[in-house]
Amino acid sequence: MSFPQRKAAIVGVYNTKQAKMLEGTPWTLALEAIQGALDDAGLKHSDIDGLSSMMYDASLTAQQMWVEQLGGRPMTYTSHGIAGALVTKAAATIAAGLTNVVCIYFGNAGMRAGPSKQRAAAEAAPVIRKAPRVPDWDFNIHGAYMSAWYALWTRRYMDQFNAPYENLAEYPVIARYHATLNPASLMGERGEITVQDVIDSPMISSPLHRLDCSLDNDGGYAILVASAEVAKNCRKDPVWVLGGGEGIYTDFYMSFTDDWINDNGQSVRRASDIAFAGAGVTRDDIDVTGMYDCFPVTMARNIEEMGFCKVGEGHEYIKEGHLKLGGKLPTNTDGGLLSHSHCGNPSGMHVVEVVKQLRGECDARQVKDAKIGAVLSQGYAVHGVAGVAILGKD
Amino acid sequence: MTQPYNKPLPQRSPENEPFWAGLENREFRIPKCNDCGHWNWVPYPACRNCLSTDQDWALTDGKGKIFSYTVVHRGPGGFRDDVPYVLAMVEFPVGARTPIVLGTMVDVDPDAVHTGMPVKVVYEDIEGEGVTIWHFAPDA
Repeated sequence: MSFPQRKAAIVGVYNTKQAKMLEGTPWTLALEAIQGALDDAGLKHSDIDGLSSMMYDASLTAQQMWVEQLGGRPMTYTSHGIAGALVTKAAATIAAGLTNVVCIYFGNAGMRAGPSKQRAAAEAAPVIRKAPRVPDWDFNIHGAYMSAWYALWTRRYMDQFNAPYENLAEYPVIARYHATLNPASLMGERGEITVQDVIDSPMISSPLHRLDCSLDNDGGYAILVASAEVAKNCRKDPVWVLGGGEGIYTDFYMSFTDDWINDNGQSVRRASDIAFAGAGVTRDDIDVTGMYDCFPVTMARNIEEMGFCKVGEGHEYIKEGHLKLGGKLPTNTDGGLLSHSHCGNPSGMHVVEVVKQLRGECDARQVKDAKIGAVLSQGYAVHGVAGVAILGKD
Repeated sequence: MTQPYNKPLPQRSPENEPFWAGLENREFRIPKCNDCGHWNWVPYPACRNCLSTDQDWALTDGKGKIFSYTVVHRGPGGFRDDVPYVLAMVEFPVGARTPIVLGTMVDVDPDAVHTGMPVKVVYEDIEGEGVTIWHFAPDA
């Protein structure tokens, strides 16, 4: 395994304001994010020659329009996927000489991911004459949606490993603590919470309570990955892409088998093993991580599949506090998807936070002497699509 | 006048017609590969295991056990007035790599549902929509 280490770096990152309702459109929020990342890097829009869309419409035709928006001249690379994988693929493609500055971008305004989306649609059309038709095996036919789906995963995990709910409920407590140290987070100003607060919050889909569930808000972000040559002239120190990997399996919340949680691992394990081998670092070398944390069970399974603990022990790892600032694997120091922001397709924000940590820009939530970070993106089924990037500074 | 059904329904794709016709006849069918014997849920045009396109819509006895479940307290769209309702993943013990099928539970006390609980498929004809859907009920 020979990943082209230190041939490309993250040179610019930016989160727009994250909030329940923002002015603008997905396009204008993404544009604001791209401009912010360009300023962060000290680059111009005409320096971008590759695009990786995280937009809800990431089609080739939509990306063409973004190429037109960003200078109206030919670019040389497009891709799509989730953020950890997009960073990795951008770095590999830059190392191969096909492109120089890749922009990963997302913006969302007014598109809810949770059940309120369908509720609003139902209320807007008070006279429903025909039931809406969806693909034959769509989980919406059965009244499922994301929180209910992760509730099924949580219940299975708890039963298979005799994992107490209270262990998993420690994760929202950690995430909220981190958010209190992040002025940009949605929930930080509400203060810290306890496990009892999580248990006392309304039941959404058993065993998940409201405080176990992701936020559902607007926002945008952008990430610029550039060649070493471009990076040396950028405004800030480069955050090198040391390694990475992508994993993909199963369909969009439709197919399941009884090996859902097994010792061999699934997409996240594949992506992680490739990433760590390519980067030439071990799990013990990681100073800080950003991991897609849409529900507590996702975090438990993340650290198991990434190899930070054994399968079935993630809930204990959470309970023991290792993910908290000051612990051995500080994770999602911005507050993550439960307490910072879930803007719809938010995996890029885990990259943004790890980059800020490695640059030493995190103020009250700074991990001391952070030199090597790991990012895990996941989604499109529980651990269906996975992207890992290992990042480091000089 | 009864309320029209306002929840999402399957589009009943032509390639899956034997499945949907089966539900009308109170039969729950899962594609089974004639070359390697693998059961494939959800259905795809070729077998996941050997890529053969020689699959039959094999009849099951409609009986399985709960792999996982949740009691939904906040329902989307047309489900919002059904809460609390039970959503279950049910394993059909037909062979290696057991297919798991998602469905809502009916005729059940939510507090009595547990992993491993024996269940059976039950059927609901949706009036005016030309489709039958499946649910699960306790298999006493």
